[in-house]
Amino acid sequence: MFNKIIVAVQKSDFDLNSELETLKLNTEKAGAVVIFVGKVRDLDDDNLRYLEIESFEDLAKSQIKEICDDAANKWDLEFILVKHRFGRLKINDNIVLVITSSKHRKNAYEASEFIMEYLKSNVPFWKKEVADKTQKWVENS
Amino acid sequence: MGKVKLKYFSRIRETIGKTSELVEIKSTNIQDLIEELQAMGEQYSVLKGRDFAVYSAVDQNIVTDVKTSIEGATEIAFFPPMTGG
Repeated sequence: MFNKIIVAVQKSDFDLNSELETLKLNTEKAGAVVIFVGKVRDLDDDNLRYLEIESFEDLAKSQIKEICDDAANKWDLEFILVKHRFGRLKINDNIVLVITSSKHRKNAYEASEFIMEYLKSNVPFWKKEVADKTQKWVENS
Repeated sequence: MGKVKLKYFSRIRETIGKTSELVEIKSTNIQDLIEELQAMGEQYSVLKGRDFAVYSAVDQNIVTDVKTSIEGATEIAFFPPMTGG
């Protein structure tokens, strides 16, 4: 039974160093750690004031947990951590953290991409860009 | 059918003007519920999904078929396409 999965949906920021320390305590057999961080970016044609992320917290958490379970079944992993933020965020603020760890790098890379692809359109978060000239809900491209 | 808590998110929340409400409903599936709500006010027509796809979750399970039964449900959420990550 794979039980090294940590999932959080939170307003507060995450700290990469402390997450890595937690991971190391739990993954002595892993030689690879892949870290993905999604952050707030400025717009091409307007100046972003802030990004508002709305969430359906309980459902978001269970959807993320489900995809982590799927990833753990597909790849030989030692550890998965996903933390996704909501609330009002500014340029360069962290949005999402995905850490996957495995004995060798291939599994961790592939699992990380798989989880992020799923997060984009299957977990109940919605982003609204509030800029100088416009404000609009982000649509998936 | 009884009282159900309805939740609205994102663009749907803005259009309907509420985050949630407790409503006495008669419908037994999502499609009928949307019709029933629309009779309560024009703002609910957003749930028809003409401008963007509308998803729903029945007791925190995302459903894709509007014919899905809602009998016995205590919470039904409506939301537009998700944009996480």
